[in-house]
Amino acid sequence: MSLLVPLFLLGLAGVAVPFVLHLTRRQRRNVVPFPSLMFLERIPYQEQRRRRIHYWFLLSLRALALALVAIAFARPFFEQDTLGLGENSGPREVVVLIDQSYSMEIGDHFDRALDEARAIFNELGPLDRASLVMFGQGARVVTRSTADRSQLTRALDTVRVGSSVTRFGPALKVAQTILEESGLPGGEVFLLTDFQRTGWTGGEGIRLPAGSKVTPIEVGEEMSDNIQVTDVALAREAVSGRERVTPTARLARRGGEQSTEVMVSLDIDGQELQSRPVTIPPNGSATVAFQPFTLSQPHTRGSVRVPDDDLSADDARHFVVSPGTALLMLVVEGGSAARDASLYLQRALAISEGRRFDIAFRRTNAVRPQDLDGTAGVIMNDANVDGASAERLRSFVEDGGGLMLVLGPSSGWPASAADMLPGSIGPVQDRLQGRGGRLGFLEYGHPIFEAFSGPRSGDFTGAQFFRARGFTPADSATVLARFDDGSVALAELRYGRGTVLVWTSALDNFWNDLALQPVYLPFVHSIAEYVGGRTEALPWFVAGQVVDLADPEALETAGLVSAEAAGLVDGLDQVALTPSGQSVRLPAGEGPRYLRLEERGFYMVRPPGSNPDRPFVMAVNVELEESNLARIDAQELVAQVGTTAVGPSGGTDFEQASDMRMQDLERRQSLWRWILIAAFSLFVTETLLSNWVSRKAGAGGVAAG
Amino acid sequence: MTSHARAPAAAKGGGQFLDPAVLARISNLELLARTVVDGFLTGLHRSPYLGFSMDFAEHRQYMPGDDIRRIDWKLFARSDRHYIKLFEADTNTNFAVLLDVSKSMSYGSHEVSKLDYARYLAACLTFFSHRQRDRVGMVTFDHEIVEYVPPSMKHMDTILHVLDRAEAGREGSLYEPSIQIAELLGRKGILVVISDFYEEPDTIIKSIGPLRARGHDVIVFQVLDPAELAFPFEEASGFEDLETGEQIPVIPSKLKEDYIRLMTSHLEEIERRFTDHRIDYKLLDTSKPLDLALFQYLLARERLRRKR
Repeated sequence: MSLLVPLFLLGLAGVAVPFVLHLTRRQRRNVVPFPSLMFLERIPYQEQRRRRIHYWFLLSLRALALALVAIAFARPFFEQDTLGLGENSGPREVVVLIDQSYSMEIGDHFDRALDEARAIFNELGPLDRASLVMFGQGARVVTRSTADRSQLTRALDTVRVGSSVTRFGPALKVAQTILEESGLPGGEVFLLTDFQRTGWTGGEGIRLPAGSKVTPIEVGEEMSDNIQVTDVALAREAVSGRERVTPTARLARRGGEQSTEVMVSLDIDGQELQSRPVTIPPNGSATVAFQPFTLSQPHTRGSVRVPDDDLSADDARHFVVSPGTALLMLVVEGGSAARDASLYLQRALAISEGRRFDIAFRRTNAVRPQDLDGTAGVIMNDANVDGASAERLRSFVEDGGGLMLVLGPSSGWPASAADMLPGSIGPVQDRLQGRGGRLGFLEYGHPIFEAFSGPRSGDFTGAQFFRARGFTPADSATVLARFDDGSVALAELRYGRGTVLVWTSALDNFWNDLALQPVYLPFVHSIAEYVGGRTEALPWFVAGQVVDLADPEALETAGLVSAEAAGLVDGLDQVALTPSGQSVRLPAGEGPRYLRLEERGFYMVRPPGSNPDRPFVMAVNVELEESNLARIDAQELVAQVGTTAVGPSGGTDFEQASDMRMQDLERRQSLWRWILIAAFSLFVTETLLSNWVSRKAGAGGVAAG
Repeated sequence: MTSHARAPAAAKGGGQFLDPAVLARISNLELLARTVVDGFLTGLHRSPYLGFSMDFAEHRQYMPGDDIRRIDWKLFARSDRHYIKLFEADTNTNFAVLLDVSKSMSYGSHEVSKLDYARYLAACLTFFSHRQRDRVGMVTFDHEIVEYVPPSMKHMDTILHVLDRAEAGREGSLYEPSIQIAELLGRKGILVVISDFYEEPDTIIKSIGPLRARGHDVIVFQVLDPAELAFPFEEASGFEDLETGEQIPVIPSKLKEDYIRLMTSHLEEIERRFTDHRIDYKLLDTSKPLDLALFQYLLARERLRRKR
């Protein structure tokens, strides 16, 4: 039974009224001081008998009537499950949540969870319904609200341990939804997991419907020793025109009691290339540097492994690496520019580990269409651009190309294409006083300067600027660098899918000495890579991530070197082979082609029925957070899962809905009326009885009490 | 007895002074006693009752065995008969008031409490005796002796002071103090016991009897409030024992008859017991004038004097 207005229960204190009246009537009476009671005490008849309560029955009637009045005002009502439809007396909606995160592969944890689930399904009542939900980072309903035990049991045979991390929130949310949609009066959620603390934050806001409960079933125990490969660094270098990669693996160990030596191996394209022994102390870490290997083929698969332990998911780190590709940068030096105005620029771009930039150089003010073919970025150095060239550049930028104007004494830009620039170019401004101007402000959050944001990561303040072109930035432009007098040094405007940068001083050593500073080389490389639009490919993904195979940028991020070489042609179906060997069809279409990376290992994407030499491959590793097997107390988690009846402060809508439901129940039952009638009847009965008793007592003068 | 029979008439003259309610307005006990005694005596002078006087004497015929030094030779010269000249004795006896100051004595249903009444009475009697050149003393007691003023000719003021500050505050008991008093008052004398005697008659006699047995002339005044005698209460109330603090609920209308019966029986029993022990006993109603008590005292003194 619940109460709509429990505050009125304070009125139960009124039960004490008859007693208080009895006592206070005695105490409030006049007290007569008398010299001695020796005669009065000898008289057998006294009012003292009033002290005793003679008619308990009458007093009980009064007290009961008052209590009923208080209860009636508290508006009682029966919850659904206490009306004989409770969890033990009626059909239930059972939701079995089984943890399939990769930590469940330890020992027989997962098998125990399945056995527990079978036992739960076998104990279902004839009217009970049950759902099976597998969860890791997300939750998947395997079987929803069925009374068919065989279906449920069969479903258990199909589930496997996954590669994701544990998150209790989504699973409990699914359970909440199932229970809320159920018409059955009782609900019970069985949570079968190893209860990792990392899976619960306490702020998930789960509110199960009233009458529901969570039953935790713990199926795991903490592991005492676990070695994991936490990271693999892939350092590249160019040797004799070929790229060499030096893998360096970092290993960590949780637990253990003494140092242990393990053999760490490096596999490339499925073949073990090297192995190294390494000693790891308890709760320590170690680093293993392998010999470099020559990288010649795109989509080269690699893995660093340690011998399998109880938790094998984190015993290997997979990666995919491809030879680096050079960005084609077109450097256009104006016809009126000084000789060798681009000397420093070209030399800087030419210096790199590996061939990062291919440079095309032209000394002209015009840009021909063929100049832009295959070009990733264009640097116009002190060029007076004509209108036709500007329009070509406009198309180039709109399609995703990058353009950088380096302003010099001869620089010019046609007014017809002024909207492309991040501002308007002004006259030459000299800073000949003192030691010239300096760069006073840099937008370190921008990708160009991000590499210089750390301490001792490049000093721009050493460069002196004696001359620059005046520049008034447009409202839509972003100023990335300013001189110490506040004038613009570098401005950007995103235009179409590309970008336009304006550097208001020269990149040689005529107007400034930046080219003589150590920071010049990385600065020019950073600008060129930004203008050329280079995207760093990810060597691996984390289990649970999703890749849109219809998005070119996503594919580039995923390390796709050449769609043609991989056989991935737009408009054709694709198929993805999972690490476990299953095929996922990715039909062609206008929309995205999402591939969910759920398993650890290598995903291969190719046209169906084909077998290209170097197919597109993506490596997937597990989230190492799951390797932390620290437990949360199951009861603590259950306690934080509220129910509507006693739930902690949650959403206002939820509370309102709960209140409305309670009010509806109370209104429909209207128990208060019956209770009031009963109280009134008791009062009448008590009055009649007491009158009868009083008459019977007659002149006895004895209080009824 | 003749004189006693006239006492009420005599008291009438000074009645306005002896009314306890009037006396209650006089805060000075000495003044009160003097007022009472002088007024009382003034009324007495009109009566043939001789009273007490240092100068009073009478003659009686000489009988063989009388001290011949007491023969009034002048009268013999005139009448040629032998008369013995008797002077009113300078009594010079010990006079002590034993005053109960237990808490029950503080009760009073009107202006004068029992203690006040007893205080006036004690002051007057002491004043009387002092004038008679008795050695006056005073003992106040509740369940033990509270104040003791040994009998002396010079202790009148002390006694008045003791009376003045006497307060009824504690539980009372008659037996223990009486034993101590008997030890203190070794010399025979007149003992006036003033109390409400809320004790069993056996206990009272057991307490007072030894004093009489030691040769004291004991005069007992039982002071009671009219409400204690008539029990005029009507409303159902809690009755609280002044001494013990115990409370019992009482419906007076149901108990009045029984109470009066018990009280009367108690008083009669006390009086009978005192009479048996040759102790003068007088019940005093605090609403009544003091003269009854004074006459009772004088009557006792007279009897004592005649015994001499």
